[in-house]
Amino acid sequence: MRKAIAAAMARSKREIPHYYVAEDIPLAKALAWLQEANAQRPMAERLLPAALLLKAVAVTLKRYPELNGHWRDGAYRPAAQVNLGVAISLRQGGLIAPALLDAGGKPLTQLMQEMTDLVARARAGSLKSSELAEGTITVTNLGDQGSDSVFGIIYPPQVALVGFGRIAERPAVDNGRIMPLPMVTASLSADHRVSDGHRGALFLRDLADLLQRPGEIDE
Amino acid sequence: MSADEIRAIVIATLKSIAPEVEAGELRGDRPLRNQVDLDSMDWLNFLLGLNRKLGVEIPEADYRKLVTLDDILAYLAARLA
Repeated sequence: MRKAIAAAMARSKREIPHYYVAEDIPLAKALAWLQEANAQRPMAERLLPAALLLKAVAVTLKRYPELNGHWRDGAYRPAAQVNLGVAISLRQGGLIAPALLDAGGKPLTQLMQEMTDLVARARAGSLKSSELAEGTITVTNLGDQGSDSVFGIIYPPQVALVGFGRIAERPAVDNGRIMPLPMVTASLSADHRVSDGHRGALFLRDLADLLQRPGEIDE
Repeated sequence: MSADEIRAIVIATLKSIAPEVEAGELRGDRPLRNQVDLDSMDWLNFLLGLNRKLGVEIPEADYRKLVTLDDILAYLAARLA
């Protein structure tokens, strides 16, 4: 597996002119919304912040087709739907990124269930090979490992990768006062052959705006 | 249910998620997730496993109390008493 990862990542860095942008996103409203939603759910149906972040990415991507698709045979082909490749680390080492199909079109509860199933099957080694080739963009989250941010390498032939660091309280200015607020750093690694930093920055800004209106993410 | 029985179920649940865990090497007073490298999905599955095996519904508000192995054993013992 290490050789396969090395080959894919070396190819990516060799062929794809990456650019990177990042934004710190306040999460107080999103976490409060999740807490309220989870209070009414049994344990098996509770939502993780990661599921809300994935859905928010998928919804935002609908307005940024230049980030969601594949570069093949010298040309970019936008995808018809958002298939989120979810980077999953394996306990024995290594990394795979199976896809949550049509993540933008599914209710949050279903997305959470599918994510749970995908992670379980990835770690059990029972994924179908097709599930590893269907991603149109990858999302990686290293927050659980304590990293504040992550700037990932695009998984070819995809043209973008979204990264999330850990959700943590940080000093932030709110109405002119310094307050501890839960924040996450979202990053975008994208292919300069297809998009520019201007659009990448707008994508992150729209993602941040959507997370301030969490009730709209699942509509 | 005795403390030993609860501990055995907790360790078995943990090993179902992280088979490499050696129970004897776990420190009861240190954050469990750091010792075993459990991400948020692993942690959710661990708590769900305890829920299924012990019948204890753990409110999300209580998650923050469950940091170390000792925390978890004490919490479950109190809920099962």
